[in-house]
Amino acid sequence: MADNETHLVQQSRRQFLRKASMLALGASPLLSLAATDNNEGVSLAGGMRPLVKYPGKRDLILVHSRPPHLETPFSVFNESLLTPNDAFYVRYHLANFPTEIDLNSYKLNINGAVKKTLQLSLEELKSMAEPVDVVAVNQCSGNSRGYSSPRVFGAQLSNGAMGNARWTGIPLRTVLEKAGVSPEAMYVTFNGLDKPVLPTTPDFKKALNIEHALSPEPLLAWGMNGEDLPFLNGYPLKLIVPGYFGTYWVKHLSEITVLDTEFTGQDSYFMNTAYQLPDNDCLCVTPGSTTDKSRPISTLPVRSFITNISVGDTLPSAEPIELEGIAFDDGSGIKDVDISIDGGLTWLTSTLGESLGRFSFLPWKLTVSFAQKGKATVMVRASNKNGEVQPLRASWNHGGYRRHAIESVAINVT
Amino acid sequence: MSNNTSLTRLLNSAFIGSLLTIVVLASMSPSVSQAYAAVDTAIKKITLPASTITLPKSALPGYNLALQKCTICHSVDYIHHQPPGMDQKAWTSAVLKMQHSYGAPLSECDIKSIGAYLSVVYGSAKADDPTIISASQLPVSAQPSDKALDVQVLLTNNGCTGCHDINKTIVGPAFKAIAKKYKSDTDAISKLVVSIRNGGSGKWGNMAMPPMNVNDKEAQTLAGFILKQ
Repeated sequence: MADNETHLVQQSRRQFLRKASMLALGASPLLSLAATDNNEGVSLAGGMRPLVKYPGKRDLILVHSRPPHLETPFSVFNESLLTPNDAFYVRYHLANFPTEIDLNSYKLNINGAVKKTLQLSLEELKSMAEPVDVVAVNQCSGNSRGYSSPRVFGAQLSNGAMGNARWTGIPLRTVLEKAGVSPEAMYVTFNGLDKPVLPTTPDFKKALNIEHALSPEPLLAWGMNGEDLPFLNGYPLKLIVPGYFGTYWVKHLSEITVLDTEFTGQDSYFMNTAYQLPDNDCLCVTPGSTTDKSRPISTLPVRSFITNISVGDTLPSAEPIELEGIAFDDGSGIKDVDISIDGGLTWLTSTLGESLGRFSFLPWKLTVSFAQKGKATVMVRASNKNGEVQPLRASWNHGGYRRHAIESVAINVT
Repeated sequence: MSNNTSLTRLLNSAFIGSLLTIVVLASMSPSVSQAYAAVDTAIKKITLPASTITLPKSALPGYNLALQKCTICHSVDYIHHQPPGMDQKAWTSAVLKMQHSYGAPLSECDIKSIGAYLSVVYGSAKADDPTIISASQLPVSAQPSDKALDVQVLLTNNGCTGCHDINKTIVGPAFKAIAKKYKSDTDAISKLVVSIRNGGSGKWGNMAMPPMNVNDKEAQTLAGFILKQ
């Protein structure tokens, strides 16, 4: 496969650049940053993605600038279990969004099929209930799309469009109950302050069914890792939907509408037309073929990564080496994380670390030793309590969504 | 050539980015996050960096159309960072999606022409492929009629309002600001017609405005509207 070859060439080039830059580090840290391959193995029409600095953010990988879309460099996931606010990925769909927000005038509107519409300031919202915390993974539906084979259009993401944070807010149902939801309610839609440039472009709105909206899990959050939400992650208020892909986590949340009908019309585009998966058991199709039936993307499949080694690393033989990484799913609970150091022939069970909650990254570690010198492939495979196991090969869909195949890291043992 | 140039530019921008970081650390000055420290603590404000990636130049008519239409809603890096090797059919479908799903003001002719251009500069097509040549035939501009042109239609079809608002700066200056600047300039209409038809940069900042695919009469109508604000 041409794609895979390109991938490997790019990966080894990255390693070369990385090693070369590490040697140069003492002399010139500037060069080392300039030489990093931010594509992380993903080839692109226009070449390498630059690192860019945005307000409230450290250097992140540029996916696109208007509207902003920034990816977290994968090395960040080896720093800490909670992704720092300044490293957390950023993704907007619509370029017409406010760059100034005044809490004196900001309101959250709750309307539609309710007894009483509400207009809440952030202060009023904060005082409605005792704040609650949840640690949860926000992963973009298109995380890892760049590895789709055959390739598909869309943001060519590596594995860094995800993050794990402690979110602080109040349950969504608190405000819905205060407004008084109609017994006929079917859906709740969410809209933020971001708007399309043209009136012919759909607004970005998402919907949850009423049972989900009234469950304890979705939060209206203003806090992230103990601070205000970063502006570019949805200040001052964001919908948190633990266990669900990031597309539901509406930023700069300004309007909650209860529907006693289906969600239709131009602004249902991002719910009913985009972010769709083939509606079959594998949520996939044979590349190039089409499907008549589709359904909105929803929960996170079980997934795992090795965070302390990367492709092309050189490791010593016959020495204990502690491998570390993370696993997560939709909240069903991680059962096992298994590691193979022989390309998938045999698997070893890792030790799971302390849980920060069922929606969080769960750390794992395992000490291994490479008996043979030469090339080796280290693989990580997680399973959950719901019986899901990561597949060896990635399935394919038109949007390049929901990638969760077993990750392999090719290394050299000396 | 153009790939090399853009790669160099990317490396430069990463280099400059890291240089700035180092300077900030070295001088122990506050980081960029302070960009949203506000006078009133209830107000948070950010300033977004400008996009630095530009479309590869080409003699194909799709180049100007892409400059004009694509950047209404998104920066060029959106296109630049797509997969390599996509063919004319794939790129044309991607442009069609912009019209069909996102309501971009693109005619069937625009879609074919932009698809052809993008598949040459970013994909597997060659400028002299017969299918590229046939997709790049633009219709002869309609002759200006005596009937008054609808400014709203011109503003929408040419994507003016993607970058310009009447009252506030978006990507380009507000129409009111332009009107104010040329208030006492007797030559204002013809100056604006030149800017609209040829594009330009430097008068209002570094962000370039692409040339608009309008005839003289249409440009005069737009200029007249802007100056009345």
